[in-house]
Amino acid sequence: MLADEPTFARLMQATQKGDKAATNVLLSEVGVWLERYFSRRVPPHAIDDLVQDVLIAVHTKRATWDPKRPFLPWLAAIARYRWVDHLRRVYKHDSKELMEEDAVEDSDEDVVMARISLDRLLVQLPDKQSEVIEMVKIDGLSIREAASRTGQSESLVKVNIHRGLKKLAALVEKAE
Amino acid sequence: MTRYTSRQELIAALADDLEPVSRINARHGAALIAFGTIVAGAACIAVFGFWTGMLAGKASPFFWISNGLLALAGAASAAGLAAMGVPKVGLRSTAPLWSAGMLAVVPLTAIVLFMTLESGHSHDHVGHLMEPTMTDLKCAACSLGAAAIVALAAIVYLRRAAPVSLDRAGWLTGLASGSLGALAYGITCPLDDITHLGIYHVLPVAAAAVIARFLVPPLIRW
Repeated sequence: MLADEPTFARLMQATQKGDKAATNVLLSEVGVWLERYFSRRVPPHAIDDLVQDVLIAVHTKRATWDPKRPFLPWLAAIARYRWVDHLRRVYKHDSKELMEEDAVEDSDEDVVMARISLDRLLVQLPDKQSEVIEMVKIDGLSIREAASRTGQSESLVKVNIHRGLKKLAALVEKAE
Repeated sequence: MTRYTSRQELIAALADDLEPVSRINARHGAALIAFGTIVAGAACIAVFGFWTGMLAGKASPFFWISNGLLALAGAASAAGLAAMGVPKVGLRSTAPLWSAGMLAVVPLTAIVLFMTLESGHSHDHVGHLMEPTMTDLKCAACSLGAAAIVALAAIVYLRRAAPVSLDRAGWLTGLASGSLGALAYGITCPLDDITHLGIYHVLPVAAAAVIARFLVPPLIRW
């Protein structure tokens, strides 16, 4: 089973303090997470090299993780950086300038990352919009059920979902 | 780089190499850039002397507005630069862009003034736009020199940190160091008309941004 965010965070804190056993576990778990991350992005034969690259980067740059912030977005940012670097090297001979923006985020992102990203986005919406989006679009409730739970009218639930999703789309476009 | 035959072998080697680390965060970056600015300011004062006229009420409003905008643009871009030393996903701050836009008003004002006054055959206050003096050019060069000191501090931080967007780091390094370098030099310069400040103090910020965009990314790649 893949380690969760609190486990990663605990292991990383121990790693920053120099705990070798924790580092062994952390890097093994990070390796598994990275395999899944890269499996949708690069050909199978390139995955192991990239995973090793990122493991070295995680080790080298471990001082830049702040325990007050979640671990997985930190790891994802490093993985994405190494991936873009890998793509640049691969496509260099094609004389194609590959920009960071070319690294398009997959829509079927890892569930953990998706949840973290979604939470980070939802907190930027007004409560009335985020709660009905969570109920209808994530938990699968009907408009009527969401209306009765929140006390909003059905038409207001629809309006809030529409406005919230529009704002989320704008936020995603602006995100790194 | 050594390529390990198995991942476990690599992990064992990395764990074996492990030592406790002191955390690096955005505050370190901000402090280092602030230190670079102070050093640049001290160097400018040591070479050219502090312009005491600004404290004696001799400075024009343009002096305070230009240097105030340089300080704001420098602070916003330095904060953005310091934050991007720590890998994360999320929204990018647009504050540096907006502050650079506000700063651009100063040289634009100088150019518009020159064009409108030129058509009215008046050259008061805007004389050096077409015919820069050695003093004008010296100010531009010294602003860039001071910017180089600030940029050095920013690069030291970025090499220790882990920026994941090198192009943006290059732009922000140029913007921050250009603004703060011009500010550091600006406290020594008694020329305070809008053309001189707009063209020879503020415009070098754009030059610094373009230069840093190309020079900095190879230096901070990791």
